[in-house]
Amino acid sequence: MRVFMLSAQEARKLRPSMVSALVFVLGLVAVFALQLGLNMMVTQDAYQLRALQAEKRDLATDVQIIQEEVASLGSPQNLADAAHQLGMVANPSSVLLDIQTNRVFGEPTPADGESLGIASANLVANSALGSTSRFITASLLDAELLAGVSTDSNTVAGVTLQSGLIPASPTR
Amino acid sequence: MGAHAKYSKRLGIFAFMLVAMVIALGFRLVDFQVVRAEEIQQASLDRREVTRTLTALRGNIVDSNGQVLAKTVFRYDINAAPKNVGPVRTARDGVIVERSVMEIALELAPLLGLDLDDLLTRLDGDGEYVNLAKLVDADTYNQIRDLNVPWIFWDRFADRLYPNGAVAGNLLGFVGQDGTPLAGLERQYNTCLAGVDGQETYERSAEGVRIPTSNVTTQPIEDGGTLNLSIDSNLQFFAQQVLANTVTELDAEWASAVVIEVETGRILAAAEAPSVDPNDPAAVPSADRGSRIFQTSFEPGSIMKSVTTGMVLDSGVADEYDTVDAPDRLYLDFNNEYIKDSFDHEDFTLSLAGVLRYSSNTGMTEFGRQIDRDVRGDYLEKFGFGVPTSLRFEGESGGILRPASQWDEMTNLTTLFGQGLAVTPIQMAYAYQALANGGVRLDPILVDSCTSADGTVYYKPNQVSTRVISESAAKVNLEAMEKVVEFGGVGKTAGIPGYRVAGKTGTAEISENGVYLDEYAISFYGVAPAENPKFVVGVTIYRPVGVSNSAMATPPFKAIMQQALKHYRVPPSTTESRNIPSDRNGLVDEND
Repeated sequence: MRVFMLSAQEARKLRPSMVSALVFVLGLVAVFALQLGLNMMVTQDAYQLRALQAEKRDLATDVQIIQEEVASLGSPQNLADAAHQLGMVANPSSVLLDIQTNRVFGEPTPADGESLGIASANLVANSALGSTSRFITASLLDAELLAGVSTDSNTVAGVTLQSGLIPASPTR
Repeated sequence: MGAHAKYSKRLGIFAFMLVAMVIALGFRLVDFQVVRAEEIQQASLDRREVTRTLTALRGNIVDSNGQVLAKTVFRYDINAAPKNVGPVRTARDGVIVERSVMEIALELAPLLGLDLDDLLTRLDGDGEYVNLAKLVDADTYNQIRDLNVPWIFWDRFADRLYPNGAVAGNLLGFVGQDGTPLAGLERQYNTCLAGVDGQETYERSAEGVRIPTSNVTTQPIEDGGTLNLSIDSNLQFFAQQVLANTVTELDAEWASAVVIEVETGRILAAAEAPSVDPNDPAAVPSADRGSRIFQTSFEPGSIMKSVTTGMVLDSGVADEYDTVDAPDRLYLDFNNEYIKDSFDHEDFTLSLAGVLRYSSNTGMTEFGRQIDRDVRGDYLEKFGFGVPTSLRFEGESGGILRPASQWDEMTNLTTLFGQGLAVTPIQMAYAYQALANGGVRLDPILVDSCTSADGTVYYKPNQVSTRVISESAAKVNLEAMEKVVEFGGVGKTAGIPGYRVAGKTGTAEISENGVYLDEYAISFYGVAPAENPKFVVGVTIYRPVGVSNSAMATPPFKAIMQQALKHYRVPPSTTESRNIPSDRNGLVDEND
């Protein structure tokens, strides 16, 4: 290594330019700031991703709950019980109309609740039955008025009284 | 020493130290970046990297309309860390609220189904883990999670749910608590239903946050396929309702009903009572957890006569106009044996339709024994008796049919009217399917296909058809069977207004240890509409109390057949049955 001694004038000439230094430093600051910004964005996204994944899991749980309720309400056991609550009985007699020839097939026969071998209320076990349909006496009576039919009073004896007009399927 | 030399020396020392430091750092750098680079990187990765198993979901089982009969849901085990149990502070609307352990327990206990004392006892102690409840449903889990109690934690498990309960429960089978299939279609088609677990590896920060772009899925997850059944769950439910009612009314041991689509051989309903709810199989005795339709055989009795008349017509031994003498007792030429009818009567002259109408054992014997026993043995095999069906249902029985060459003299004759052999309800139903399908027996179909989520078909049954009797023989045979429903004492009650129905009653004595008891298996197997068969319905009721004829088997048959015809919009018949002899004198009935 060799060391040279310079005069003050020569040293001033060799002094780095203030502008260049400023540009260099500002450049460095900008690069670091950009990197910091990117890091912050990535980190923020990571937290957001985790939050969204948790939300997705919660929503999937909600979907499962609703699907289970729908499945329970749509199960034949619930429908049979609901129909029974409404005073409906199965009518095995079918009458078909051929709309092309206007021909009626079969003899219209009123439903007979006492028909042997035809049960209307549910007899098939289902321990997954969580949500079930319940009907409102007032709604049933209104519906009867609209339909012009009457319900056997025995069949509505156990109906739960609730408010509302349309027979509803309350869940939990 | 001048000033110049002094500065030079200091600069030299400084430069030396600088170089030494750079060299030292360089060594360290090379050590970290080159020599120990792999080791350090691995140690770092080990601290960040997490591997977790991605549990594949078991596939759904659905009916022919896509109604879900079995699905996978998530359940939760709720646990606590007793050593951390204490009051919980939470901010609500900007206010810090402290809830005591007692307050939390009062909210928790009803959700967990525990009484308060029991819950407090479990929360007491300094352990790190105690289970509070197993397999709670998602709704309960949500409510517990919303309590925001830091010392409560949970584990999630995949569980099996059967939304329709016991509807087709005996066919579906069930799985154990660990997800192992234990019975029925769940077990038989496990290859289709079980998925393949995946594995995911990713890096996470010290706070447990996943580092973006670090995902490495080492094994992709593959969910199980969907098992598509031929069963129509609405019809299945209806049939189970009818049978449950019948079993209760008759105090019977069990009852079964099979509904088959004649042209396709698809099983639309295979109902039984008692039935099992796969959500809770332990609720019924083990004998009721399988499917008797496939697993139990019984002596069929007179429902076999329609099969025999089919053989008689096909083999050309007799036609619908030929008659035989049919006394109420037919004495045989060996061992002073005789065959008798179920009721005392004067000597009849019966055609094939008459034999079915009066369910005459003697008349059937006279017609049937004209066919060589080996030929009859071959017919029975072609009808599907003696071997399990192609479904190979779990534990399926093949019934009992000894080779014709091994029949003793009595068995040679009794097989003509359903004694000396045993059949399963599914075998008998498919024998009738052959009679209804122009003499062609189709392999039963219970599973239409197994498909993946993207529609790829993993499995489809390969159905084989077997010509058993000629089309003309099958047609005449159905016409003869119609007379059972038109004029038969019991058969009449199986009639469905508006439809032509063909069928046969059966009342078989049950034998135990070789002795016939005063107990019966009563049946009615039939076809409708007879002129263009759409459905076969076969009903068997085993050991009804105080019932000695098949009169109680026709109402469930009628109800189920009527429902099938209505459900599938089958128009009523527009033609009359053919006038063929069926009365006791071998003539056409005057009312025909």
